[in-house]
Amino acid sequence: MNLLLWLAALPCLYWTPAVDSAPRLKAAGIDRLCVPPARAEQWRQAGFAAVGLSEADLAVRDTPLAPGIRVRADRASATRSPWVDANGWRFLRDPAGQYAYDLPAGRAALAAAEAAVYGADAVLRIDPADLESLGAMMVFLAQLPANDLPDVADLAVVDDGSAPLGEVLNLLVRRNLLIRIVKAPSPDFGINVKLGTKEYPLREAGEPSALALKIRRQLTDEQRALRVFGSEVVIGRLASDGSRARLHLLNYGGREIEGLRIHVRGSFPRGEALVAGQGRVGLEERAVVNGATEFTVPRLGLYGVVDLSALE
Amino acid sequence: MDRRSFVRLLAAAPLAPALPEALPKLKVVSAYAPAAVPGMPGPYPGRVVSVRSEKSVDTTSNAANADVVREMMARGLCALTGERTAPQAWRRFFAPSDVVGIKVNCGGHPNVVSSYEIVAEAVRQLMALGIPTTQIYVYERFQNQLDEVNYAPHLPEGVTIVAAETANRRADNRGYDPATYVEADLFGEEDTRSNMMRLVTQKLTKIINIPNVKDHGATGATGCLKNIAYGSFSNVARTHYRGKSHTYSFVGTLASVEPLRSRTVLQIMDGLRGVWHGGPFARTRRYVFYPKRIFFGTDPVAIDRQLLDIIDDERKAHGAISIYDRSPQYLKVDDGAARDADPNVNIIIREPGHVEYAARLGLGVADLARIKVQDIEV
Repeated sequence: MNLLLWLAALPCLYWTPAVDSAPRLKAAGIDRLCVPPARAEQWRQAGFAAVGLSEADLAVRDTPLAPGIRVRADRASATRSPWVDANGWRFLRDPAGQYAYDLPAGRAALAAAEAAVYGADAVLRIDPADLESLGAMMVFLAQLPANDLPDVADLAVVDDGSAPLGEVLNLLVRRNLLIRIVKAPSPDFGINVKLGTKEYPLREAGEPSALALKIRRQLTDEQRALRVFGSEVVIGRLASDGSRARLHLLNYGGREIEGLRIHVRGSFPRGEALVAGQGRVGLEERAVVNGATEFTVPRLGLYGVVDLSALE
Repeated sequence: MDRRSFVRLLAAAPLAPALPEALPKLKVVSAYAPAAVPGMPGPYPGRVVSVRSEKSVDTTSNAANADVVREMMARGLCALTGERTAPQAWRRFFAPSDVVGIKVNCGGHPNVVSSYEIVAEAVRQLMALGIPTTQIYVYERFQNQLDEVNYAPHLPEGVTIVAAETANRRADNRGYDPATYVEADLFGEEDTRSNMMRLVTQKLTKIINIPNVKDHGATGATGCLKNIAYGSFSNVARTHYRGKSHTYSFVGTLASVEPLRSRTVLQIMDGLRGVWHGGPFARTRRYVFYPKRIFFGTDPVAIDRQLLDIIDDERKAHGAISIYDRSPQYLKVDDGAARDADPNVNIIIREPGHVEYAARLGLGVADLARIKVQDIEV
């Protein structure tokens, strides 16, 4: 994705207050808005890149989940994992879709990062208390170096458009299993998941978590292009051409993670991270072994990007 | 990777006992070679010294008697080593150049934790050998547990009291060594690694293990093996889930990973107090009992084999089901409240066989016929 496309793909804050709120927006670093059409010109005159968006325009957009985690109160086991509400699978499934987040307080910055990572056409309706954190994230996103690397995928999923498959896609992405969504089985992949086949009977979609685990074990962890250690609430998106790689890391857990260990297939001796809220961060304890690269991201807030290079 | 890696696959084959289900594949990654004589089982395999004193703990106040504990420890260490004095006995294990970690257990706060008196006496003896306080570390995995127990007022200034993580919230990994771990997919969890604490791999040269006498819902009992294993690695709660426990093979495997195995040179199991149900927690005194013993050895398996009987006997004395009971009728999966209310409720099928499995890994002796227990009364 080149720089212009990347910037265009950034999500848009939907802002209904009057133009006298402009100083607060500017202070937050936000200069691009979606506003009610009647106010668009006023906002432009105030120096903002404003796009008119009516209630009707909003109404036709799909509403993604507010990203984050839910602790499942029905589970008392010590090993329970939090349930992650994430939308990457939706964006992968329908890259041309239009979305309008409706976000409670505390979720705007993560939603902005999530939408940007997947290049989603997304509008953000936020709690005004999140303006500053959203602004900081938007500034961070806008400053990221452009990147046009192709997505990495370990397996293909044939999309039948069904809701059950949607939940399977969700859980595959949630488990950091890198997928390519296709219309028909692809010869490029050793694993093609197609519901309703002998290998993936429709009934198995009724237990999407079990099906995702089955697929993971068919692939094997050793063959996966991406592994994340030290957290179960970080979702990655990996792009690479073999000589360079970019890894997006979205932290849905709501608290900073220290010492996140990453395993990426391929030999990438050089690399660094750009972490929202921290800027440029060196990767720690790097190791390249058996055709894979491992490193530690010292601290990860809501979002970080790791750029890797095969050049010594 | 610019280091040597020792990668072992511990799976079924020669070590596996006859179990209805296959054991999970456990991959051990460590660059550390074993010592010539690994600390576990150490120089005294199959040896247990059990020192009992009626005066060691006041069962009304739950307080221990420091003077009695000191005497018990001296007698126990001397009996174990054959030395005549406590300093001579301690010198068998430690030198002034050592950096010593004391692995305590704080999970049974407020009623059954590694006693201040035992920990303090261990520190005193180490200092008497010439080990400066700056080379002594009291450690646990979670800082919030250490804070609750608060050893600091009982220890000399300069001793470091340290944990790997702030709390059990899976967000602080920097206290763990990314290159030393056990990898396993047990229940389909995404994070399949359990990493050893950096303190163990990078700083300590010797470790004293001070566990408690406790029941445990997943392992049957928790003593030397589980305290040193689950207390030195990250991401271990994943081994027991929805009624099933993989602790059978995981506990011993963790304990066998270098350098933990080689550096853990002394086992002092605090049996002044114990908990016979609801463990590893002891939030109330309902299930607390008082063995009034301290166990000494270098063989964690031999001590834990005694522990299994102690816990099971105490449970039987209270009419509770055995730790070996695997029947579904007593199983209420994930129902911690029912477990706490009724000693005849399991929330997980317990795996006391983890002690025998550890013996198969070479960590010690589990066969009662081959264990020599020396009882001492103070």
